[in-house]
Amino acid sequence: MIVLILIFILSFVLGRYSVPPGQLLEVLATRVLPLEQRWSDTVETVIFQVRLPRILAAIMIGAALSTAGAAYQGMFKNPLVSPDILGASAGAGFGAALGIYFSFSMIGIQIMAFIGGLAAVALTYGISLRIRHDPMLALVLSGIMIGSLFTAAISGIKYIADPYDKLPAITFWLMGSLASINPQDIYMVVVPIMAGMILLFLLRWRLNVMAMGEEEAQVLGLNTRRLKAVVILCCTLMTAASVSVSGLIGWVGLVIPHLARMIVGPNYQVLLPASILLGGGYLLLVDDLARLLASMEIPLGILTALIGVPFFLYLLLNSKWGWK
Amino acid sequence: MKLELKNLSCGYGRQNVVDGISLEINEGEVIGLLGANGCGKTTLIKTILGLLPPHGGEVLLDGKNIKHWTSAQIARVIGYIPQMHTPPFPFQVLDVVLMGRTAHIKPFASPSSRDVKIAEQALEMLNISYLRNRIYTEISGGERQLVLIARALTQQPKILIMDEPTSSLDFGNQIKVLSHVKQLAGLDLAVLMSCHFPEHAFLYSTRVVLLNEGRILHSGPPAEAITAERLKILYGVEVEIISVRNRLNKELKVCIPSGYQIAEGNLTPAPKSDQIYALA
Repeated sequence: MIVLILIFILSFVLGRYSVPPGQLLEVLATRVLPLEQRWSDTVETVIFQVRLPRILAAIMIGAALSTAGAAYQGMFKNPLVSPDILGASAGAGFGAALGIYFSFSMIGIQIMAFIGGLAAVALTYGISLRIRHDPMLALVLSGIMIGSLFTAAISGIKYIADPYDKLPAITFWLMGSLASINPQDIYMVVVPIMAGMILLFLLRWRLNVMAMGEEEAQVLGLNTRRLKAVVILCCTLMTAASVSVSGLIGWVGLVIPHLARMIVGPNYQVLLPASILLGGGYLLLVDDLARLLASMEIPLGILTALIGVPFFLYLLLNSKWGWK
Repeated sequence: MKLELKNLSCGYGRQNVVDGISLEINEGEVIGLLGANGCGKTTLIKTILGLLPPHGGEVLLDGKNIKHWTSAQIARVIGYIPQMHTPPFPFQVLDVVLMGRTAHIKPFASPSSRDVKIAEQALEMLNISYLRNRIYTEISGGERQLVLIARALTQQPKILIMDEPTSSLDFGNQIKVLSHVKQLAGLDLAVLMSCHFPEHAFLYSTRVVLLNEGRILHSGPPAEAITAERLKILYGVEVEIISVRNRLNKELKVCIPSGYQIAEGNLTPAPKSDQIYALA
């Protein structure tokens, strides 16, 4: 928690346009106290229009992806599951690619991405209900299939897209970045992300029971069918909303729940809050690196993988807890 | 409370695995369910628990059909102890036991201190309070089975159902777990337990039900119901049932295979280790 706040403050200060910490405090304080303006308008713009939205987005998206990953890992009884297992990311990517192809506005592209993510998961869920087999396996299998289908569709759009204009736009979008976040984006995603997160947070005890396996959870008195649908809905809302403003950001939803589990154990009563805090802090930190490491912005999706994979391997090789 | 099966048929898909079973279980009874692999024991248990829809007939609790009960309603009456298993996450023992409270806890709530107390009492009753803060995946198989029994007791059920509770336990742990089963019947619980060994049924059940190809072959007190002929029908092997007396001069029965005699001096040499690897 304290670390998250530290990263939060640090993120304001660091950047191409430097803002001294004292000035930052003053600028923030004016929002509540009537202070005389002793700074340039640029500073205020940088803080409120550029950095604050970006910082909030990084925290929310990191927290959302980690929460979704943690919930799915329990539900599927598999610690190697990530939030895009049911095709949410691929669907959102397809929606965005389609939006870019048809030259929609930024908002239009985001809405397309959000709808694409929801549609892909709805398709996955609908198909899984028709497969007469182990329901969890059916979900995962149809998720993989729908995911591949949408990934193929993205490639198809890229192939026919204008190679000088649309193709790079799609490619950059898919790499994931928070560079173009503006305050409106925050208003757009805050509702679905918070709704999903709060609902999952309230259901966190039931996630424990679900992690024992669907049949056993049902025998213990859980309405597993309903809980499964609610968890999928929450995770999809959060993932689709995140992806719609940030593009594809991998590995956060897989690595952070692991890290959280190693620190606080598998009990969702503490695991879920821990995932939220760690996920928010982690993505904010990585986004700061994306801004600062090179003179040119590095796409966030590349960095999360570059940092996430070695980190994950390190955890696997050095953990006593592991997941067994 | 009384569990009653009336002409119950059940199975997977359209096929009937269990065909027209009628059975009554009252509190204080321990029913041993005996039968070969695939005879329908697990299917029957899953149907009673509401995991499979019955194809025909009824499951009644105190005369009420539970067909349209929610899983929480059923879980407040019937506790289930699965075969030993390992969950993928290293939960604390107390958390596992607390899961038994699920049916009593509101959807958005977490266990209260009262729930914790009930869980602790269950651990105490089985003399495993020392396991409270241990990691469920790191304790022994026998201990894990006792934890699952504690979890079922935490549900505060009237009926306990166990599916081969000792199937992957060693000799000592089998006895430890089963002796607790007898203790449970003393709590005015009705216990239905499927088991692998007729001897367990002799020792720990008040009544046995012999299940053969989805139908009840016979049911009655163990000493009367388990005979060599019936075991031959059930398992397809020749068995002798022998009475012995223990130190307290109590009569006990043991089953000894008799059909297959071990040929002496006619043993094929054991394969060498490299051959075993080749086979694997």
